[in-house]
Amino acid sequence: MYGRVLGVTLVGVRGHPVVVESHIGRGLPSLTLTGLPGAPVQDARDRIRPAVESSGLEWPLRRIVVNLSPGNLRKDGPGLDLPIAMSVLAASAQVPSNRLAALAFVGELSLRGTLVPTPGVLSVAIAARRAGLGGVVVPEANAGEAALVEELEVVSAPSLAQVVGFLRGTWRPQSVGASPPAVGASHDVDFAEVRGQGQARRALEIAAAGGHNVLMVGSPGAGKTMLARRLATILPPLSREESLEVTQLHSIAGLLSSGGLRSERPFRSPHHSVSLAGLLGGGSSLLRPGEVSLAHHGVLFMDELTEFRRDAIESLRQPLEDGRVVVTRATGAVEFPARFTLVAAANPCPCGYEGDPRRQCRCLPHRVQLYRQKLSGPLLDRIDIRLVVPRLSKQELLGEEAGEPSSTIRRRVELAREWQRPRYAALGYPCNGQLPGPLARREARMSSGARDVLSRAVDSLALTGRGFDRAIKVARTIADLAGAEELSAEHVAEALSYRVNLSEGSLARAG
Amino acid sequence: MSDLPVRDDGLATKWPDGFAKARADLRALLVLSSLRALTPLKLLELARLHGSARACLTAVREGRAGSEGDRRYAGDLDPDDIEAAVSACEARFVPVGADDYPAQLEHLSDPPAGLFVRGRPLPIPGSVVAVVGARNCSGSGGDMAWNIGRDLAARGVCVISGAARGIDAASHEGALAAGGHTVAVLGCGIDRAYPPGSRSLLARIANEGTIVSEYPPGVPAGPYRFPARNRIIAALARGLVVVEGAAGSGSLISAEHALDLGREVFAVPGAVDNPLAEVPHTLIREGATLIRGVDDLLSDLGLDGAGTAGVGITARLDVTPSERAAFDRITGTVLPETVARGLGLTVPEVLPLLMSLEMKGLVRSVGGRFQRRIRAMGRV
Repeated sequence: MYGRVLGVTLVGVRGHPVVVESHIGRGLPSLTLTGLPGAPVQDARDRIRPAVESSGLEWPLRRIVVNLSPGNLRKDGPGLDLPIAMSVLAASAQVPSNRLAALAFVGELSLRGTLVPTPGVLSVAIAARRAGLGGVVVPEANAGEAALVEELEVVSAPSLAQVVGFLRGTWRPQSVGASPPAVGASHDVDFAEVRGQGQARRALEIAAAGGHNVLMVGSPGAGKTMLARRLATILPPLSREESLEVTQLHSIAGLLSSGGLRSERPFRSPHHSVSLAGLLGGGSSLLRPGEVSLAHHGVLFMDELTEFRRDAIESLRQPLEDGRVVVTRATGAVEFPARFTLVAAANPCPCGYEGDPRRQCRCLPHRVQLYRQKLSGPLLDRIDIRLVVPRLSKQELLGEEAGEPSSTIRRRVELAREWQRPRYAALGYPCNGQLPGPLARREARMSSGARDVLSRAVDSLALTGRGFDRAIKVARTIADLAGAEELSAEHVAEALSYRVNLSEGSLARAG
Repeated sequence: MSDLPVRDDGLATKWPDGFAKARADLRALLVLSSLRALTPLKLLELARLHGSARACLTAVREGRAGSEGDRRYAGDLDPDDIEAAVSACEARFVPVGADDYPAQLEHLSDPPAGLFVRGRPLPIPGSVVAVVGARNCSGSGGDMAWNIGRDLAARGVCVISGAARGIDAASHEGALAAGGHTVAVLGCGIDRAYPPGSRSLLARIANEGTIVSEYPPGVPAGPYRFPARNRIIAALARGLVVVEGAAGSGSLISAEHALDLGREVFAVPGAVDNPLAEVPHTLIREGATLIRGVDDLLSDLGLDGAGTAGVGITARLDVTPSERAAFDRITGTVLPETVARGLGLTVPEVLPLLMSLEMKGLVRSVGGRFQRRIRAMGRV
């Protein structure tokens, strides 16, 4: 009395095939799970029997042992409910075993035997394809994402009874068409809605074109959040591979509302009370990708940066550096991709009105100093563009006409990205923003005028070595937007204007 | 501006003869000046009643005058300790009646019975101008105070202020930059550095200028001591300049002291919606002299033309025609868009011009907007 069925468990975003074998032998009726099942899988023991019985099938009243192999891999997630049930049904010869070897099963079961939406189905389907399987059986709600994988038959079943019917040949699943190709992202916000803020608009265009991280400092109500939200709308559209990665991550997090590919760039704005696990990934059972991974290929917006816990801010260094995050737990280290554009926002001082021409700042100087200290440090080194977003007066707002739409800006951004791609192709960096500082200094070709401006800035603006490298990187992106081969004095001067010094008394410029 | 009264202009000294003449009286005065509840006004009354400082101290010790706390405290104090602390911080005690006790202090209704002094001797009366204003000053306010301090000092005028952050510090630094004399009056003990951030400035003033306090070593800064300090600033100065001050700030108290004492008050105006221009505007409405900059002040003080050698701004910076055009568009504090629109340029085109002007020290950026620097006036 032996059955063998394939399931998939997730480690990070990667699916690993799991052989689910069952043996039904003599003894008191029981169900034993072996092979390092995690807590949600242990849960399945009590869930599967009612699900099988509700589906009009018979639960063998004998001693059942289910083994999950390989035994050294911890199995997590509710997606193993269906393979365990199928394995028991195969062992009790209630389903024919001829097709089982070529299929992977995934899905969480309800007590009534229906298949409920399950996170991570896309990763399961990819793993099934990679393992050379012909098809995958998934809950109906997740059929769309599974269908994104090419050359894989997707059996979309509403419940356990239908899965059994399919294997017996008494039920035919509806064919799941390949989802429509990724269309131009549809965002519900647009840069055309932003009045004024010329420098901030320009800075975000540069950030999008060069993949630079941004810090916006400004009084409450200046429009920092509004601007940040629109950065995602001017980033170039996701390629198919990027879309798949984003969809996979969001699928694991259970955030895919409708099946199918996520074509728009994600915008994540975690609240400042977010836990370290929430930010980087973690959780007690199934490892959930954190906000940094959910923002993969998109924008991570940290409003009120100073309110975030210090360790949360510090923990962003690794993803900013490597484009991935490694979550280490007792059972091993798990990696999630996390390549995002960081947009941070902060008030200039605790009360928020330092530098505002119409409101007096009421902060004690040492409080401002302490506040600024939270903003400085290693994270700031990874932020190339820092600017002050002024709170506009009614007059200033009325004087401004509505700005360019996102689509126009995005076209310029795409051109600039095209322009820089071949330059670093050999070095393996996609854009200026990810270039290490010394390399940027070496690679930059600049006019004598540009060199002049930079050397003067070292004196008059107290430009530091790192500040120097950042200015070159940003100037390179400005030149890319202008389609110039060489950095000019203007490019460098503009780049120097995207620097705010936060460590000193007032928001002056410096390294 | 009328000549200032000096010691022998008929103003009778308020203190009895021989109040602090003898050595024993001096030591008694050191103890008396350490009593916190004994205000200068009360001490003056006591002095008139008892004659000498020694007699005053005896009265306090016997409980005939002063508070109960003063009596106990006076019993514990040893004048030797105070003398040691005074010399430890390289200060000296200047009692009333001494030759270098500033006579202008007698204009006060509550003159200090003595001053603790560090550094150079106090300046001669009639050549001292006070510059006061907001601690949370704006960049241009700080520039203005610095310029005033420098230009006054370069003409041999001593700049007096309170060593606080902002306008005070800027005016001291301007005076030091010109190599002139500057006096800092403290609202804490003569050995203290308050605010802590002014420690290095105070060290320089102790070397090149003068630090003054009516409080002996060890007295911490306290909120009521700053108005008291302001009265000394106003009394020692011939005129008082208020650069910036928000409503309810201490600058107004200084100006009121100065008006009470018959000192001339000058005020630098600002935009009507600028909260930091509140005090200067109030003063101007009440009759203070409006000054548009250091030139107005110098001519009102009758100092223009004198001693300007080597100070004035000579270097004309070279700016490109487009930078010049951008500079001309900066009126008040403006957004880069405003400059761009005036020139028919886009924001990305105008940002390098503004940045270049900023690096040449002609323009500064304030919270995402741009304004001319006062130091740039007349240089472009």
